[in-house]
Amino acid sequence: MNWNLYSRGDKFFAIVVSILIGMFTVATLYPFIYIAALSFSSGFAAQAGKVVLTPIDATLEAYGYILKDPQFWVSYRNTFIYTIGGTVMSLAFIIPGAYALSRPQLKGRRFFNLFIAFTMWFNAGLIPFFLNMRDLNLLDSMFGIILAFAVNAFNVILLRNFFEAIPKSFEEAARMDGANDFQVLWKVFVPLSKPAIATITLFCIVSRWNGFFWAMVLLQSEDKIPLQVFLRHTISNLSDDDEFAIVQTAAGFSAETVTAAIIVCSIIPVLIVYPFIQKYFEKGILLGGVKE
Amino acid sequence: MSGVVLNKIVKKYGALQVVHGIDLKIDPKEFVVLVGPSGCGKSTTLRMIAGLESITAGTLAVDDRVMNKVAPKDRDVAMVFQNYALYPHLNVADNIAFGLKIRKVPKAEIRQSVQEVAEILGLTDYLARRPSDLSGGQRQRVAMGRAIVRHPKVFLFDEPLSNLDAKLRTQMRAEIKRLHKRLGVTSIYVTHDQVEAMTLADRIVVMNEGRIEQIGTPMELFNNPANRFVAGFIGSPPMNQLHGFLEADDAGPVAQIGRLKVRLPKSEVLENQNGKPVVLGIRPEHVTVDEVPGSFPIRINLDLVETLGSEALLHTDLDGMTFVARVETLGEISHLSGVDTLHVKPDLLKLFDAETGRSLSVDARTGT
Ligand SMILES: Nc1ncnc2c1ncn2[C@@H]1O[C@H](COP(=O)(O)OP(=O)(O)O)[C@@H](O)[C@H]1O
Ligand SMILES: [Mg+2]
Repeated sequence: MNWNLYSRGDKFFAIVVSILIGMFTVATLYPFIYIAALSFSSGFAAQAGKVVLTPIDATLEAYGYILKDPQFWVSYRNTFIYTIGGTVMSLAFIIPGAYALSRPQLKGRRFFNLFIAFTMWFNAGLIPFFLNMRDLNLLDSMFGIILAFAVNAFNVILLRNFFEAIPKSFEEAARMDGANDFQVLWKVFVPLSKPAIATITLFCIVSRWNGFFWAMVLLQSEDKIPLQVFLRHTISNLSDDDEFAIVQTAAGFSAETVTAAIIVCSIIPVLIVYPFIQKYFEKGILLGGVKE
Repeated sequence: MSGVVLNKIVKKYGALQVVHGIDLKIDPKEFVVLVGPSGCGKSTTLRMIAGLESITAGTLAVDDRVMNKVAPKDRDVAMVFQNYALYPHLNVADNIAFGLKIRKVPKAEIRQSVQEVAEILGLTDYLARRPSDLSGGQRQRVAMGRAIVRHPKVFLFDEPLSNLDAKLRTQMRAEIKRLHKRLGVTSIYVTHDQVEAMTLADRIVVMNEGRIEQIGTPMELFNNPANRFVAGFIGSPPMNQLHGFLEADDAGPVAQIGRLKVRLPKSEVLENQNGKPVVLGIRPEHVTVDEVPGSFPIRINLDLVETLGSEALLHTDLDGMTFVARVETLGEISHLSGVDTLHVKPDLLKLFDAETGRSLSVDARTGT
């Protein structure tokens, strides 16, 4: 970059933008750093509020405590099942659904599109949904969690818009080549929509990975809960457990450091996966904005 | 071999009718070009033949089999699209092979077919490339490869050359013609470019506003346009159309065009029609600067000279009407700047009824 090519106004603008971005970066990054530092600190330091940026009295005690807990591993496994199963289920519904909704030849297309979009602004609410799940016999069921949140209107519409933007002649050429609807979808539209599908996949993964509220409401059995619910149980158990308070002081961890350690453990897989799909993610966010 | 027959084909989009009953019989191995201004229904007609648009009324037959309700994939026709519609995620070989794979042709056979087609089209060195790494002309060839690899009964082309630059277009035009000679497959080709139509077609179908204006060989259309529309569409620059009316003197009928009188041959059609408004058609090519035997002179005001090289276009004013002449330059244009009289060869003039636009099918003869 050659600064001499910029006018004074431009320079000023560039400086202001850099400062703002810097502040935003710090605001986003700091909680991560803080949690990581906390998880490696001693219980005393944590309780005394001494941890700011780096671990104080560095120790692995908090990790030792949770990694020994079999329930941690069960819920970790469950989160993986919900994430992978849920994402696959979502794609299995969203891709064909978006394709159908994008085709002009679909009878009642306007109605169905409206029908889907409707769910973005209105839903039945907590209790009717809960009753519905109960009546479907999907309470406390892992499959219930995977199925019930498979279709998300935003993702359907994102992909539908992407499909609609694919020039009509691709479909026509494929039809002239002898392809039926399924072949048009899988052999032409899906490969042409990789960025959009990667984005949706990422959205699904993230929302499944972080899925907490409905898992808490719908699941009772300890062996079915995901990591987020386990985290929540741990926080509430630890914080009002006097006995634990005594043990922890001796052992060198606290409710705060254990919580932080669980959070760090739950972030690691996302950190590993993210760089691989980041390029699609950026494109995909643009996607939503470019069309219409 | 396969002929295509369109019988009173109609297309409506809701209440809007865009194709008004087209009758067309295309012989096996024939190369037919549908030509007409943009929006006249050429693509719609072609797409009805392909099966990409439904046919509102009338029948379409390929090889005597009615195709109205047959799915595109079962019609055994192949289409080349204006934007090529090459699959960007597949390389050239897979693009060409796509239709064969869908049809579950054995792998070895596919490989051989692709190889053959690549050789015909000069694509052998590019088989592993993606469409994005090809030039416009190469993409065009891949699009054709995808069509010919299946050995369809009929080829359909929808303005396949309009995305290419002028030079490449000329080159690909010749290639399409050569390919047709070699493969001998019935072809229907849509374009708005009359030069493409003239150079490629065995027969041209001139369309306008969803109707056929005239069907004929390129020379038939050029020499005997059935109406003013065809006269104005075929040929470049188009035929001059001069408004006037019929008169008669002792020697027979004349066309009075402004101050110019053009003698017409005696004909029943022209009898007792004094005062009838007519249009006299003069092709720019049938005008010379120098007098030639039998020609009659017309006085003009020269407006502009456009040089094409071996020829020049003279834009002139004839009694308030624009008149264009295409004359030889013989490598020199200085003598053209002072021209005030042009000479018209009378035997090639056309006469049209000004009201209906139809040709009065008499050739005018001499002028005075
Ligand atoms: N899907 C459609 N719905 C409504 N009108 C259409 C549709 N497709 C084409 N048309 C109209 O039909 C007419 C003929 O179109 P087209 O066949 O594409 O013309 P051409 O190929 O000769 O330029 C145009 O006026 C166009 O606006
Ligand atoms: Mg068209």
